[in-house]
Amino acid sequence: MKEFKFTVTDPVGIHARPAGLLVKEVKAHASAITIATEAGKSADAKKLLALMGLGIKQGDTVTVTVDGADEEEAAAAIEKFMKDNL
Amino acid sequence: MALDYRKCAEEIVSHIGGAENVATAAHCATRLRLVIADNGKVDKKALENVEGVKGMFESNGQLQLIIGTGTVNKVYDEFLAVTGLSAASKDDAKKAAAAQMPLWKRLLKTPGDVFVPILPAIVASGLMMGLVEALGKAIPGFGETDWYNWLDMVANTAFAYLPVIVAISSARVFGGNIFLGAVVGLMMIHSNLINAWAVGTAESIPTWQLLFFNVKRVGYQGHVIPVIIAVWLMCMIEKWLHKHVPEMLDLFVTPLTTVLITAFVTFTIIGPIFSTFETYVLAGAKLLITVGFGIGSMIMGAIYPITVVMGLHHMYNVIEAGMIAETGKNIWMPIASAANFAQFGACLAVAVKSRSNRTKAVALPSSLSASLGITEPAIFGVNFRFMKPFVFGMIGGAAGAWFGAISKIGATTYGVTGIPGLLAIDNIPVYVIMLAIAAGVAFALTFVLWKEETDDAPAAAPAPAEEEMPDIVNTSVIRCSAGEIGQPVAGKVIPYDEIPDPTFASGALGVGIGVEPDEETVYAPMDGTISSVAESKHAIGISGAGDMELLIHVGVDTVEMNGDGFRPLVSEGDTVKKGQKILTFSKAKIKAAGHPDTVVVLLTNSDDYEDTTYGI
Repeated sequence: MKEFKFTVTDPVGIHARPAGLLVKEVKAHASAITIATEAGKSADAKKLLALMGLGIKQGDTVTVTVDGADEEEAAAAIEKFMKDNL
Repeated sequence: MALDYRKCAEEIVSHIGGAENVATAAHCATRLRLVIADNGKVDKKALENVEGVKGMFESNGQLQLIIGTGTVNKVYDEFLAVTGLSAASKDDAKKAAAAQMPLWKRLLKTPGDVFVPILPAIVASGLMMGLVEALGKAIPGFGETDWYNWLDMVANTAFAYLPVIVAISSARVFGGNIFLGAVVGLMMIHSNLINAWAVGTAESIPTWQLLFFNVKRVGYQGHVIPVIIAVWLMCMIEKWLHKHVPEMLDLFVTPLTTVLITAFVTFTIIGPIFSTFETYVLAGAKLLITVGFGIGSMIMGAIYPITVVMGLHHMYNVIEAGMIAETGKNIWMPIASAANFAQFGACLAVAVKSRSNRTKAVALPSSLSASLGITEPAIFGVNFRFMKPFVFGMIGGAAGAWFGAISKIGATTYGVTGIPGLLAIDNIPVYVIMLAIAAGVAFALTFVLWKEETDDAPAAAPAPAEEEMPDIVNTSVIRCSAGEIGQPVAGKVIPYDEIPDPTFASGALGVGIGVEPDEETVYAPMDGTISSVAESKHAIGISGAGDMELLIHVGVDTVEMNGDGFRPLVSEGDTVKKGQKILTFSKAKIKAAGHPDTVVVLLTNSDDYEDTTYGI
């Protein structure tokens, strides 16, 4: 299991469009990927609506957990994606 | 990858049983609409797999293949080339679909089609007539005043000249010239003919000898069916002549020949058949009500509305007048009253139960008019069109008439039924009970057993269903193995790849549609649970059956508006029903903020289903 923290810089937070892009990225990996907020809510990152339901805003720090066979590459790829896009 | 239109068209043709199995073909913005002669020859599985066909379904007798905007017209052109068919408009396709209905259904539908457009006239007249007659009976001496006389004339105009109005409407329904239709209608009630209502009191009826036909000089006042038949015949003749007469002579020959032939056939064949029929019905009715234990009256109470539909009820004045002359007691009137009041009950039940505002708007005034004894609006405009209420009305009429007969009530005059009948009846309490039985039975049966057919509305009034707010959610815009998703907001539907935003259009968020909204209310397009409401209020997620995850996002980039102009009516975790209001928004505010107002509707997990299709 890999875990990393990320602070959202996108002004709209993880809303529909960025969330959609993230889901697309996440779905490319076999591992189970969970995103948790500081408030303690968490969601399966492969589910767009669940992800949007977290209501993550700019400045929020989230914890991303990656668990599965390809967790090494997956965690690295997702972290890079989030830095580039969110 | 461009679609090979020719190949697509050829494959479609091969899977629908060949060119000869196609009755008509038309297309709309996204669909190829086909009417198939023999649906058994259609290979639906194979059709769905044809490249370019995004989905298919059958509706209203049409086979509809979803092809997509910009593509469907090209496939359609190839389709015509392959099949050798000529282009048909959407109307033609609709008509051909109507022609697929069984004959008896089409026949029953015709009076409804004819009557719906003229309802305002007969509802106005019906209500006025009922009120004026009631006042005439209720206020002693009022019946002799100038006011009464004048009001009576105004009120009964539409009924006195009903055949003209019916003829004009029929000409429109059958596609003939409406002015020729008017001529046929006028001719049938010409003042040189003896008024049908006065036949019973006329001393002798003059005749014409035309060839070997002996034609009675009697008008068709109060008739509906013979008028519709006459105008139908007229339209057939007119259309045939238009096709076969050279254009130069058309204006001379066609109208003249049309009217002449129609007139001759109407007076010599259609008319006599009906008047013979009427004579038998009259004799039968007289005999029937003498059958004991109220059984005869019960049967008469049941079939009375049928005779109204046939236009035979004006004959009954003869029976009533005869009874009053002989015994002073009119036992026919309670039967007619029960029958009419039952139609009122059935019509009222339709008004109460229907969810269509259009149906309610017709049914309510029609039922009021029926309660006053003028049943034509209720019968033709509502009950007969839906059939079941009409039958339930017959049952109610039978029950009421039987009760009236065994209670031996009678009227002292004739020509009034329903509520105004209170003033003419010899036993008011029993009469009230009888009306309550008749209307109650009809109302209860209709209310419980009649179900609104949604298909009926577009057939009767071809207004686009998309404009009726709650109806739009029944137009499926996204379909997959887990279910169908309706259109959540009224407006023009576009495929997702035409949404003015690269992310939505890319399909990264799933496939679906956009709606360019005409209205400002979003309805839940499926049953489900609200899984998210965006903080900025402009987007709602709904989870539905089979794990469908739907995103409704109002406008593009509208997240920047921070909720101004959006009002969600649900919150996270709420259960919603299809058709429930979930969000309202302001188009003006979105516009002011400089964003497109396209409502994005995407099945975000469309990847999870193999067979997702979208578009209207």
